[in-house]
Amino acid sequence: MLTFTLKRLLALVGTMLGVAILTFFISNIAPGDPARLVAGQNATEDMVETIRVEYGLDKPLLTQLSIYLGNLAQGDLGKSIVSTRDVTQELASRIPATLELVFCAMGLGIIFGVTLGVLSAVWRDSWFDQAVRIFSISGVAIPAFWLGILMQLYFSVHMGWLPVSGRFPLVMAPPESVTGFYLIDSLLEGSLTKFWTSLSYIILPAIVLSLPCLASILRVNRSEMIEVLQSDHIVAARAHGLSQWRVICYYALKNALIPTLAIIGLRFGWMLGSTVLVETVFDWPGLGLYAVSSALSSDFKPVIGVTLVITFFFVLINMIVDLAYAWVDPRLRSAK
Amino acid sequence: MTSILDVQDFSLDIDTFDGTLHVLRDISLTLERGDKFGIVGESGSGKSVLVRTMLGIGPSNARHVGGTMSFDGIDLTCLDAKGWRKVRGVRISMIFQDPMTYLNPLVAIGTQISDVIAAHRKAAGEDTGSKAERLKVAASLLTQVDIPDPERVLKQYAFQLSGGMRQRVLISMALAGQPDILIADEPTTALDVTVQAQVLDLINELAERLNLTVIFISHDIGAVATVATRCAVMRQGEIVEQGDILDVLSAPKHSYTRELLDAIPEFGSSEQAAETGAASEAPTDGPILSIKDLSKQFDIGGGKTVDAVKNVSFDVQQNEILGIVGESGSGKSTIARMVLRLIEPTNGNIIFQDRDVTAFSPAEMLAARKDMQMVFQNPHSALDGRHSIGDAIGEPLRLNTSISRYEREKRVDELLDIVQLPQLFKYRYPHELSGGQKQRVCIARSIALNPKLLVLDEPTSALDVSVQAKVLDFLKELQSEMNLTYLFISHDLAVVRALCDRCIVMRKGEIVENGMTEDIFRNPNQAYTQALIESGRKTSKDAAMQAAHAG
Amino acid sequence: MSQQDTSLERPGFRERHASQIRMWRLYIHTLRKSFTSMLGLVIVAFFLFLAAFGPQIAPYPEDAAGAIHMSQRLMPPSAEHWFGTDEMGADILSRIIVGARISLWIGLLITGIAALIGVPLGIIAGYRGGWTRAVIMRLTDLFLSVPGLVLALAIVASLGPGITNCVIALALVWWPGYVRLVEAKTLSVKEELFVESARSIGAKTPWILWHHILPNCLSPVIVKISLDIGMAILAAASLGFIGLGARPPSPEWGAMISVARSYMPDWWWYSFFPGMAIFLTVLGFNLLGDGLRDIFDPRSRDR
Repeated sequence: MLTFTLKRLLALVGTMLGVAILTFFISNIAPGDPARLVAGQNATEDMVETIRVEYGLDKPLLTQLSIYLGNLAQGDLGKSIVSTRDVTQELASRIPATLELVFCAMGLGIIFGVTLGVLSAVWRDSWFDQAVRIFSISGVAIPAFWLGILMQLYFSVHMGWLPVSGRFPLVMAPPESVTGFYLIDSLLEGSLTKFWTSLSYIILPAIVLSLPCLASILRVNRSEMIEVLQSDHIVAARAHGLSQWRVICYYALKNALIPTLAIIGLRFGWMLGSTVLVETVFDWPGLGLYAVSSALSSDFKPVIGVTLVITFFFVLINMIVDLAYAWVDPRLRSAK
Repeated sequence: MTSILDVQDFSLDIDTFDGTLHVLRDISLTLERGDKFGIVGESGSGKSVLVRTMLGIGPSNARHVGGTMSFDGIDLTCLDAKGWRKVRGVRISMIFQDPMTYLNPLVAIGTQISDVIAAHRKAAGEDTGSKAERLKVAASLLTQVDIPDPERVLKQYAFQLSGGMRQRVLISMALAGQPDILIADEPTTALDVTVQAQVLDLINELAERLNLTVIFISHDIGAVATVATRCAVMRQGEIVEQGDILDVLSAPKHSYTRELLDAIPEFGSSEQAAETGAASEAPTDGPILSIKDLSKQFDIGGGKTVDAVKNVSFDVQQNEILGIVGESGSGKSTIARMVLRLIEPTNGNIIFQDRDVTAFSPAEMLAARKDMQMVFQNPHSALDGRHSIGDAIGEPLRLNTSISRYEREKRVDELLDIVQLPQLFKYRYPHELSGGQKQRVCIARSIALNPKLLVLDEPTSALDVSVQAKVLDFLKELQSEMNLTYLFISHDLAVVRALCDRCIVMRKGEIVENGMTEDIFRNPNQAYTQALIESGRKTSKDAAMQAAHAG
Repeated sequence: MSQQDTSLERPGFRERHASQIRMWRLYIHTLRKSFTSMLGLVIVAFFLFLAAFGPQIAPYPEDAAGAIHMSQRLMPPSAEHWFGTDEMGADILSRIIVGARISLWIGLLITGIAALIGVPLGIIAGYRGGWTRAVIMRLTDLFLSVPGLVLALAIVASLGPGITNCVIALALVWWPGYVRLVEAKTLSVKEELFVESARSIGAKTPWILWHHILPNCLSPVIVKISLDIGMAILAAASLGFIGLGARPPSPEWGAMISVARSYMPDWWWYSFFPGMAIFLTVLGFNLLGDGLRDIFDPRSRDR
């Protein structure tokens, strides 16, 4: 198991390196003079030249690449044009917000997705199954931003139960920052009011973000369960008289979990991407909103920064999924 | 005293896209306690559906349209889940064909057995006990089926055990609840010959010791006969003949039973051998194929290699049928593929028609392939499902000749005639053909270019017994009509004895015996060959006849 | 062995194509059995109809191109304007109908380009193995490590907003999925006995790839394309919503919602209907794709 983990860690580093190179190339495919782009519309020729030298844009591509990678290794992601602050700093303050949102959404997605998938497979073709299937198919098709707007319209404006947007009311002080996660920090601080407030702010965006993921997990889990339930060893288990639920929850689910795990990994990636949309709709102060506002202002470095950070988390989760595979499937353990 | 199993006029239907399928039609049979009953039938006979329905695990879309099925007074056709839990594994138990797919790959053996024990105890209303205690019971069950070192096996997973061991584990799970009836659904078909004999012995011994009633299902009459005292022959959902095994084997009443018995190659007979012996004359020219010191090593990763074939040398004379016999892992299939260089040999030479094939460039190899062709084992996957039969047979012509499309069609028609299939088939697709028909198409494909040598890799193993016989007869005719030389690979000793002039016995990559088929079968030199022949004989029809006579 | 009478005339069309006819009947039968698949088919057919004849059937076609009727701005749904009007006074229904053509075009381009790049790469990677496969799969994995929308965002941010750049960015996000799918399928098809059989009768690699590997890869690719068209339309609309996709006055559905957002909550219909259009279109393609997957599943053949 240990060599397995080490190999995966090495792969992670390799992938990040590859992605860094990829982002470098993306930055450089823009048509036109990069120095002029950075300088903006109103820059004079002198300013453009200064910028060109300062950013090293007059050097050959390969040198630029090595400078870029070197900077990355030291954690230097450049400066934002709009705020003139270090991108790394701005990212750091926004990461916990996105992570908290994503973890909540992921949790909802996995718990409900797997449970509903199993139940739907067991009670196949019942009205429950039909309803769940319609729900899951719609869940993947529904545009996240549209759903978010509609939910705001109903729950916040029409019913007034929940706040419209943001992460925490401006009038209150957020919990003491220990983990950066408001839900946890408020409990650590012992303040139930802050906990409920944080919850009321996070619940709508978390539900909207989780829906496509939930739907996807549900579908895959359901179809895998159906397939496994027809397989020979389940037939044998039933022939030996094992009880229905033991067979389903342990024997069948264990087998069905493997492809489901793969989907969870993939969906996590799509969810990270969707934060761009959901954070925009709900004004959630995370990485996604940061990337969008920077992109709209042609502020490029923050966009790259967000890309790298989000990719890192995605690759990390995939590595964890791989390890989970090996834990579930003993065949992989002895092979690697 | 009520019979333990009573089936009267039982009928089952399944609705398919092409209409209603009468899977079981008016099945009637009765079993008394302690009976050993065999059911013989080919694929599609309904034998598996029948026994699975007895356990309530038949096809889910089947409709019960008539008749009764009762076990010890309990009506099996209207049991609910609770009722089944008292029957499955506890009163009626089943062991299956391929132990690999019937054991959960992700759960340890010990857990699986202990769960079965717990389920039985729960169904009987007892306390399930602790897992540790159940594992002890599991260990004793494994000892009962002659598994050495049961503690270690309990911790292992299915993929770490050999085929024979897996089957024993399944048997122990089936016996965990101390059932009255044991149903064995083709339990030995997926196993090697030597292991088959061991498992059959085990089943017999357990049946004696535990006073079991056994239902044994197989397409292999010989295997059925080693266990059963009475038997039924099924065909397309009906029982065509039923009775004591002695009567059915020696004096079959139904024409289908006779057909089935005739189709099985005689194991102990020497009549056919004399025929083939006469056919092969003394070779005048040199051998058409000469294998010298052929070896193949496979790299299985982690720096380890496995020697599939070790320094094998033999000759194949013109117009003879040379058989290569061995169990799985003997290297026989690898040799077949190396002859055509579908797999590259690690060492050694292959001399075909006095030219060294191993040294050929790809272009020369392409030309050489016209003269040697291969017929593959599994006709179901040897044909591309997306191509019509006409395309499949025409493919070698398209690749190697430049004849016009019209001429190609004519040649395809000719070939279909030679293999005795209607010309209309060239418009059909593989999934519409039966196994035997598909294999004929493969044969037509292989003779399209008029080869001199035909390598046949277990060409009939995947086919039903009655079809096998027809295909083998056809192959024999073909060989003499077209002056072909055959290299015939098989694990089935009876087939080899019936068809091949000379044969080679292989074991773990090495040649163990090489000589005229008859000589080897009557006077084997090596102990391994002896063991192989013994196991084969044990499960053959002849042994069954003798045993039935004696009993 | 008897010779059949070769002077028999060639069997008729129905006879020769009996197998294909039966296959199509089975497909249609399986599709018809599923309510959801039929629903998908109907929705997609309707969408295609709108895309084809949009400008002809829209009640106010000039509104789709950006006509301005300030006197009618932001009116709620009524008999003259079924979906109401936007802040320029343009009829929302007409804009949605004409927008269907843009969405279809976007969806087809993205999936088409992605498949054209991905499928050949996948087959080559799967069949050749070794270094070729390693390089192609590493590159594929690299692209797949960056979550789709984020990668598209970065590319569009670099290239500049607009529909063309949006399509390019999303095609770059989508092609690796095809490589993965086809490579896996090729790996398993490669091991089939009929490929070995083809090699034994003298087939060379290009022949095997074209005649045996590709046809066997087609079914999953077709299913994936059908599912992807919907998701590509959704992704393009998402980029439009952010403001990086289509520009006004183009009646692209995502861009419409982006503008509509500033008119929430009072003029809710402005965001509601375009979003509904996106939802139904994507739903239709998903349902159809699922239906296709069911009919191509070899197990359904035995029914």
